[in-house]
Amino acid sequence: MLGLNCKQVVARSSALIDGELPFWEALQLRLHMAVCKGCTAFVHQMRVTRSLTLAAGQGSPDDDAALAAVLARLASEGRDAG
Amino acid sequence: MDPRGGCTRVPGIGSDWEQVRALIAGDRAAFAQLFRQHNAAMVRVATGITGSRAVAEEVTQDAWVAVLKHIAGFEERSSLAGWIFTILVNRARSRARVEGRSVSFDAGGEDNSLAAAFDGRGHWKDTPALWEEITPDRIVAGRRMLDVVTAAIEALPPGQRAVMVLRGQQGLEAEEVCAILGINEGNMRVMLHRARLAVRAAIDRLER
Repeated sequence: MLGLNCKQVVARSSALIDGELPFWEALQLRLHMAVCKGCTAFVHQMRVTRSLTLAAGQGSPDDDAALAAVLARLASEGRDAG
Repeated sequence: MDPRGGCTRVPGIGSDWEQVRALIAGDRAAFAQLFRQHNAAMVRVATGITGSRAVAEEVTQDAWVAVLKHIAGFEERSSLAGWIFTILVNRARSRARVEGRSVSFDAGGEDNSLAAAFDGRGHWKDTPALWEEITPDRIVAGRRMLDVVTAAIEALPPGQRAVMVLRGQQGLEAEEVCAILGINEGNMRVMLHRARLAVRAAIDRLER
């Protein structure tokens, strides 16, 4: 199917969504995707995966307790040193 | 959005220096901000290396103490985040070694996670469907989807997990991720791709 098969598109899908493919290779992928619903859906899924990965990494409810523990330890070590 | 990682941009050296100056001056609010920015990610990376959340929390606390003790020695050879994660990863690896745990960040052999998805000519056997159920509203409305993503990341091998957190969540530059983990850029890209395939598969199972 226009140069690349679906397996080859999948192997390059991360590089495509990260903008890391050379121009001609990216063009080959886009030509394939223009006629392949499966690869279009797959690349869309990879974009959603990238966005959800980013969203899942935002903060943590445990941060405040951990911050208090670090500050307490620093205060204690400061006293010991003094 | 960073087109390469889909991440918020890493603070430039200018803002790094503002943070560094504030930390040297003992500014608690600046430290709290930096802590909230990186602590959860540090625990996630360290858990992958040490194999234990409890040990990872200890190592991360040690790393923060080291960061504050040595902040005056920070040089602009890396971003502040890159420097912090280098301290963390070195400490986590040392701790893993002490406990007899061998940690490799290699990409490993060929990925076969989608081997059954293609026919002999490399075309889909079962065409993937669009995830029409996943909308921004649904993601915001419930934590379930993000919990699935987090669980999938936590199940990754240490190298893939570290790359996913550092590059995919913290937005560190590719070169910095490679320097922190001691891997080359080709390996890093392979690991990022495999990590995304694994997380994608977890989301897909939820969608079906």
